[in-house]
Amino acid sequence: MLKLAGAILVLLSGTLIGFRQAARYADRTAQIRQLLHVLQRLETEIGFGHTPLPEALERAAAGAAGPVAALFRRTAERLREGGAAVRDALRAAVDEGWSLTAMREPERSAVIRLGDALGISDREDQIRHLRLAAALLQAEEAGARDEQARYGKMWRSLGFMAALLVVILML
Amino acid sequence: MLDGLLNLLPAELASLIRSLPASVLGGLEEIRIRQSRPLEIGHAGGFAFVTAAGTVSDDPAAGYRPTAELCARLLERITNHSLYAMEEELRRGYVTVPGGHRIGLAGRTVLEGGSVKGLRDIGAFNIRVARDVRGAAARLLPHIADRARRSLMSTLIVAPPQQGKTTMLRDIIRSVSYGSWPMPEARDWPARKVGVVDERSEIAACVRGVPVFDVGPRTDVLDACPKAEGMMMLLRSMSPELLAADEIGRPEDAEAIREAAHAGVPVIATAHASDLQDARGRTAIRGLIDEGTFAAVVELRRRGAATAFRVVRPIPAAREPTGLAGGAGAC
Repeated sequence: MLKLAGAILVLLSGTLIGFRQAARYADRTAQIRQLLHVLQRLETEIGFGHTPLPEALERAAAGAAGPVAALFRRTAERLREGGAAVRDALRAAVDEGWSLTAMREPERSAVIRLGDALGISDREDQIRHLRLAAALLQAEEAGARDEQARYGKMWRSLGFMAALLVVILML
Repeated sequence: MLDGLLNLLPAELASLIRSLPASVLGGLEEIRIRQSRPLEIGHAGGFAFVTAAGTVSDDPAAGYRPTAELCARLLERITNHSLYAMEEELRRGYVTVPGGHRIGLAGRTVLEGGSVKGLRDIGAFNIRVARDVRGAAARLLPHIADRARRSLMSTLIVAPPQQGKTTMLRDIIRSVSYGSWPMPEARDWPARKVGVVDERSEIAACVRGVPVFDVGPRTDVLDACPKAEGMMMLLRSMSPELLAADEIGRPEDAEAIREAAHAGVPVIATAHASDLQDARGRTAIRGLIDEGTFAAVVELRRRGAATAFRVVRPIPAAREPTGLAGGAGAC
């Protein structure tokens, strides 16, 4: 009886771990997508709206959700509090909140690099930097989608299979 | 007023300025920041360099030298992290920050089709501290009063930069708008509606449409609006009894002032010029003076902390039947 309960627990947790891993792949794709939306919104606010950066960041963040929105909202807050330069504010927000996202190093460095340029040059230059970051992210998104298709399914079955193996060995 | 400005500066610069002796801070007029060169301040008509210890010195070699990184941060803060939204300001070469302080910028100009499109590599800042001196115009008002109409006559205030033109103009606006006429015979004169075209956001220092400086309860401000267009807009929409504008000089400004004067609305304006003679050297202004649109011209001169003025009537009989033929005083 106890063994059966244990086996069920192992199976359950194995499957969950597998699903979680698969979800991380899906999350990464979705979050890169959101990041791209944020950049697009920023481009509109900066290029056409002449919106001051703190406000532009907040509006852009409103179009995204969860940890991605939090990155930009925190940056805007830091700017409003005064003191910080954009690059430092964004870097601090990334250091603080990146671990909550499912994104990886290439996306992180693209965001940080964008922070180095944001707000400190004329409109055309800002748009160039935003597009460059968007291009980098699009490449990552394609890769992420690929991985999601390939490893997402694999992880889902792998979790269950591994748990099954453990159960068989245990019994 | 100064605190708001200092909060805008990077921390090390702000604390350096704050540590200056109170006597210097009280008369602070300008803070000049030049990348890798000694930090300079202008106070009470003179200038001095600021040392890293927070004292003043006449020796440039002793001055604190702002780094490139500090200048970059300063630029970021005064532009609200949005240099891209400041194209018009960069083209004109200055930014007005909350509090009405004007920050002049110098760097490498960017040209487009031969005219200045903007600035880049900005390495020099001149922060002009805006001052609000209540009663600055009290001595002047009796000399420019239009006793027949119980208001002011059209007046041009001329002075070189940094003589207190805008401060004087702001106090005239405030006095008229409150109806606080300093002359004994004007005790029952009403307060007047004042329309202000504040192209450089220096007179009222509006933040989101609300004046930071007290410009009086009956004053309407068109913020950041070109003067000529703004004066016509106010005339049509806000029925002002007095119009005020800063630093006129273009032909279209003159046209708008003429229009207002013919509509019976006196105009108080300022212009960069050292005296009446100098002002007449500028075509647009000469026309206004010679045809009597400006019934009075006031020349301002700083004498230490005080401002002296001289009122000239270019055409004595032009508008004001009972006025004094000229006057002088100090306030």
